[in-house]
Amino acid sequence: MKNVTLGRYIPLDSFFHRLDPRSKIIGMFAILIAVFIPSGWIGYAIIGAVILSCIFIAKLQIDFVIKAMKPMLMMMVFLFVINVLVIKTGEPLITIGKFTVYLDAITQTAYIVVRLVLMIMITTLLTATTKPMDMTLGIEDLLMPLEKLKVPTHDIAMMISLALRFIPTLIDEADRILKAQASRGVDFENGKLGEKITAIVSLIVPMFVSCFQRADDLADAMEARGYVVGAKRIRYKTLKFHAGDYVVIIVSNLILVGMILLWVYVK
Amino acid sequence: MSIRFEKVDFEYSPNTPFAHLALKDVDLEIPMGKVTAIIGATGSGKTTLVQHLNALLMPTKGTVEVLDHRIEAGKKYARIKDLRHKVGLVFQFSEYQLFEETVLKDVAFGPKNFGASEEEANEKAKRALTTVGLDEHYYERSPLELSGGQKRRTAIAGILAMGPEILILDEPAAGLDPQGAAQMMSLFRRLNTEKGITVLIVTHNMEHVLEYCDEVVVLDEGQVLMHTDMKTFFENEEYMERANINPPAIVRFKALLRSRGLDVPSDILSIEDLAGFLSRRKKK
Repeated sequence: MKNVTLGRYIPLDSFFHRLDPRSKIIGMFAILIAVFIPSGWIGYAIIGAVILSCIFIAKLQIDFVIKAMKPMLMMMVFLFVINVLVIKTGEPLITIGKFTVYLDAITQTAYIVVRLVLMIMITTLLTATTKPMDMTLGIEDLLMPLEKLKVPTHDIAMMISLALRFIPTLIDEADRILKAQASRGVDFENGKLGEKITAIVSLIVPMFVSCFQRADDLADAMEARGYVVGAKRIRYKTLKFHAGDYVVIIVSNLILVGMILLWVYVK
Repeated sequence: MSIRFEKVDFEYSPNTPFAHLALKDVDLEIPMGKVTAIIGATGSGKTTLVQHLNALLMPTKGTVEVLDHRIEAGKKYARIKDLRHKVGLVFQFSEYQLFEETVLKDVAFGPKNFGASEEEANEKAKRALTTVGLDEHYYERSPLELSGGQKRRTAIAGILAMGPEILILDEPAAGLDPQGAAQMMSLFRRLNTEKGITVLIVTHNMEHVLEYCDEVVVLDEGQVLMHTDMKTFFENEEYMERANINPPAIVRFKALLRSRGLDVPSDILSIEDLAGFLSRRKKK
């Protein structure tokens, strides 16, 4: 339970850690869009090199980034199997009995896998270098223009930050209830289907109950400290762009433009 | 047979930046048939220690022996279910583990998991509920609509119904009113004297230790600081000082009397004895 690396903040001091969250979010979106442009292997090589050097600059360990991809492994295998079964174009590669594997199946899968890997790497870079609270501040600021359309941006940001705040708490809670039920003889790993269902119910019901209780308590605590929904609010921490932030935004958008050009002209 | 820790280390999230050594080189032997208090500051490893006793946590180094079970670091243990049947562990704020529709069903959940039939389980559940002081009016009620203290009792009954030989309680009285807490503690004492169940209680309340326990284990930063019988512990000021605890009211009162020049014998540990001693002194 506690070994989840996907989306975890790593407290270090680096160029990326010091950046404004807004520029990181904008930069990440630019690169994400760039990943989805079919700019061919050269394009992916460039993006890959950029992301890898960013990870290096952020002082993150490559193991950590690789670990974050583990949950995706099954999905990649699944994609590969489906593609091999379905895609029947291109050069036939190997024939096993009546079944033939085609070149396009392999290249298509490779494309998707590379895209997934690049996406995970870039999002990991963002989440590992940005404190959850800074992230919500950034999101709130970036959503600000929507305020004109009566979108409750502050409430959305508050909800996101509360949700992020409670993830570790809930993981601890789940761990505790899991152990408490294990002490009563629940076996979460083995057992027949019926036993498995009871085991999961014995975890989920207490989790639900305590979540609602926590939500109630939290709402009371917030109101007791003067929180009013929809009230005008100022901030303790204000975000400010520095030189590095402009560099990140410009570079990431240049990459995006570059990928579009590569797609339009080279193809 | 006893409970024995041999050179036990336990580390949370080993080989990560979040690694934390919670138990260090713990050598400990807890006798059967007694009520043992486990005390120590927050974060001293009390909860981690007791979670080794039913294999919720496995030692990263050393061995743990409980009854006829022997758990070695780094080895998979096959008889976990049998161990958990015999060692009942009640968690801190155990009321959060209730999930069934009725009190009776929830208490019968444990025995059923350990292979009792529906009827047997219900029978055991009813007996356990009687032991904790909940009568048949509660059987069909939802555990979620009970008061905090009643929920706690239901959760404890859920463990008692399993018929454990060793009962471990992690701060069973936390958050209860003084009366409820005292009832709870005397229940554990009774379980020990009447049924011979070995009881381990993790607690911060020194009054409870003085009144209901036989032995004291003090933990400090993941190590066993001392292990003595309760009387020795409260008769020696330097012990309490080393354990860094706030002595029970009676001990503080004795110290006050002594500082005024009254020589109170150190083996007086109850209000009744002290009152008797003072009235005898007065007559002289």
